Amino acid sequence: MSLRQKLLLVALSMLALPWAGWQFVRQMEVLLRQGQEQTLIASGKALSRSLVAINAALPPPGSAVYVHDLTVPIAIDGYGDDWSTVRPYFQALGPATDAQKVKMVLGKDAQWLHGFVEVRDRTRQRADAHDPQAARADRLELEFSRAGFTRRYWLASAAPGPFEALPSGMEGGPLPLTITGEWQEDAAGYRIEFRVPTSQAPDTLSLKLVDTGEPDAIAGSEPMTLLHYSTSLARELEQFAPESTRVRLISGDGWLVAESGAVAQVQPRGETEAPSWLARWAYRWLIAPALQGTPALAQSQARLDAAESLQALSGVPAATWRAGSSPGDVVLVAAVPLIVDRETRGAVLLEQTNTALPLLTDAALKRLGLVSLGVLALAAGVLFAFATWLSVRIRRLRDGAERATAADGRLEGRVPLTDSKDELGDLARSFQQLLDAIAAYTDYLRTLASKLSHELHTPLAIVKSSLDNLEHQPISSEARAYVGRARDGIDRLVAIVRAMSEASRMERAIASADAEDFDLSEVARGCAESYRALAAPRDIIINVPDQLMPMHGAPELIAQALDKLFDNARSFTPEHGWIRIGLEPDATGMVLSVANQGPLLPAAMHGRLFDSLVSLRDGAGRGDVPHLGLGLYVVRLVAERHGGKASAHNLPGGDGVEFVLHLSGMPRESVASRAPMARR
Amino acid sequence: MPRSIAIVEDEPLIRANYVEALTRFGYEVRGYASRPEAEAAFAMRLPELVIIDVGLGDEPEGGFDLCRGLRSRAAALPILFLTARDSDLDVISGLRLGADDYLTKDVSLHQLAARINALFRRMDALRKPADAESVIEHGPLKLEQERMRITWNGEEVPLTVTEFWMVHTMVRFPGHVKNRDQLMREAQVVVDDATITSHIKRIRKKFLAIDAAFDGIETVHGVGYRWKP
Repeated sequence: MSLRQKLLLVALSMLALPWAGWQFVRQMEVLLRQGQEQTLIASGKALSRSLVAINAALPPPGSAVYVHDLTVPIAIDGYGDDWSTVRPYFQALGPATDAQKVKMVLGKDAQWLHGFVEVRDRTRQRADAHDPQAARADRLELEFSRAGFTRRYWLASAAPGPFEALPSGMEGGPLPLTITGEWQEDAAGYRIEFRVPTSQAPDTLSLKLVDTGEPDAIAGSEPMTLLHYSTSLARELEQFAPESTRVRLISGDGWLVAESGAVAQVQPRGETEAPSWLARWAYRWLIAPALQGTPALAQSQARLDAAESLQALSGVPAATWRAGSSPGDVVLVAAVPLIVDRETRGAVLLEQTNTALPLLTDAALKRLGLVSLGVLALAAGVLFAFATWLSVRIRRLRDGAERATAADGRLEGRVPLTDSKDELGDLARSFQQLLDAIAAYTDYLRTLASKLSHELHTPLAIVKSSLDNLEHQPISSEARAYVGRARDGIDRLVAIVRAMSEASRMERAIASADAEDFDLSEVARGCAESYRALAAPRDIIINVPDQLMPMHGAPELIAQALDKLFDNARSFTPEHGWIRIGLEPDATGMVLSVANQGPLLPAAMHGRLFDSLVSLRDGAGRGDVPHLGLGLYVVRLVAERHGGKASAHNLPGGDGVEFVLHLSGMPRESVASRAPMARR
Repeated sequence: MPRSIAIVEDEPLIRANYVEALTRFGYEVRGYASRPEAEAAFAMRLPELVIIDVGLGDEPEGGFDLCRGLRSRAAALPILFLTARDSDLDVISGLRLGADDYLTKDVSLHQLAARINALFRRMDALRKPADAESVIEHGPLKLEQERMRITWNGEEVPLTVTEFWMVHTMVRFPGHVKNRDQLMREAQVVVDDATITSHIKRIRKKFLAIDAAFDGIETVHGVGYRWKP
């Protein structure tokens, strides 16, 4: 993984930025929402106070029985299937031990007030209401009151079917004289369906169940106000309700008494467009994912049993949020208790759809996204540029280091960046020091031989001249033998020292060689012909073309290199073997090759073959000048001086070795730069 | 009367050996350890031949300066350089110090004696009229063997003794290729191929300095050199 990629990865840490921004937007949104909750609760309180102030007909205190507005016609038949729409709202009025024993529901249409009562009773004592036995029969006693008048009716029946309930009190005023109804039974109990004209409908009603089988289970109720949905109250609500808000007034039991307005979408001022679906979606899922409000409040219900209304009815305002009808909408619900004379008489529920929040948060999110993207791109760009710059510098340093260490350990040029003030500069300076140290050491090693030989010259000269002088002294013949041996030794030493300094001398000679134009093929052919006598009995094959092959260089150096190669080839070629000398042009210049039959090159030597003081030959024979392996080094120097290179490889046939010189010629000096032959 | 030779050499043991050996060969020899010492002595009396070591004590090229001083005083004084460094040879010829010969220090005393002898012979020969028998003329070249003198178009070529003998070897049989061994033997030097090559190069340069069109010495690659017939 490159430095650049690593730094780009590091740049990913910038992604914390949008996350933090997102959190911030969420916080902001929560604050905004809280503000809105406060506002809506405040307007709810104001509304409830206004209602109290204008003496609106608020639901009375105490228990109540709700009169539903019926949407389907009711048949008085004792069966409850036509009450299915209001079935959830059956009020259980049974005794405390078994509240479900008696269930009642009231409903009205244009003409009638209908009632339906379900009683669970497995033991039945039947008698008609006007029967004297009625007092010992299972019955339902209803007590109607209106405008100070009260009437009590016994609802009982000796058999399933229609019945008439007679009142017990005569002074009934507007109350009905009889209540007609239908009585039906089954094994679990009986059902009573009755109706009275709405003109005669009571204001309050109390109910008493007499079950002769279970004398303890006589259920009776307080007088309960008949609670209707009030359109007049709804109109009053409408006057006070904030715009685009649905306001619902509920009684202390949660019954819906009045409703106005609708949960409409608020168009925030100055905003001409509704939030886009993307904004809605983003708001819904990114900002306000947890909406705790009761979804059921969205519908129109006769009784609002939600947590918000219950909390309000207990005297504490509540505010919750729920998802709206269209995606991304949120609805704020505020429930405020309706307090008259320090008594909670009901609650006001206000609901508002909120599109401003999605819009606001969307704008914030968009800005956040843009800013994050911008910052991210900027940071990534800066980091990328920085990393690129850094890696370019490091690469330069590396290239410099590689360049500085040429293939043979010679150093050229300086390491880049050594002037920088930063750590890379430090590194570069360390490199430079290292390379300088290596250069010094390499230099020391390279000149060691010539230095050593130079130092040895003088003592050798002393020994040599001393031996020369000794010969002229009268010494015994035995001693003379020793002098002779010493002379042999010193001669050999001299030869070694000369060979040691030969490398540097050759380097100098090659470096200072003058270039001229000559015919390379002639040189190659001349050399090759002259080797015939030396090579015998080995066979010399000459593959040199006859045409002119011009070359700008030093012919004597090329000849010397050829000498070395031939000498090398000869020492490895078996007798009656062959040596082939070839010359051919190639793309960049000429290729001069000396191939010979003989042992192959050891693989380990491939890279070092042309180095100084490397030899493949066995140790020099006694009395020989030691072979110090300078020949191929000289060959390489000559090739390099002629802008080429020397290489060696085994022949494809595996029967020999070929040494190749690629030559392209020395660079031509311009006439101006050539020093004139001055006579000094 | 023995000929007088001065040896300027900073290494006392070598100096002593050379002084003893040359004394034995019948010369009157004096050794000097440094340039100031030698110059002081030469101011009094010039010897007939001077052997100078290039590096003198703390002056790595003190010998060159000494040589220059001597040449300005005595143009014909034979001067022979001794050196431990082959590279000095180029310097010597490059500076055109007018040395008559130079030898590396591992030369044997016999060779040294032979060189000195040759130089003295040359000196004597230059004082006499030229011996016609020992003159080889070849085109613009004139070689006087006794005087070890070579002229080209009548102008003297300032060759050292070693170089003279190399040219002499080639000119005696023009057109014959002389290989490096032969040249070495004739010049009585023990050097390697590269040195022969550089010797030839120096000889060419000296001729070219006189005649820019000189191409008398021909290289036969892989074999050696020959004088163009």
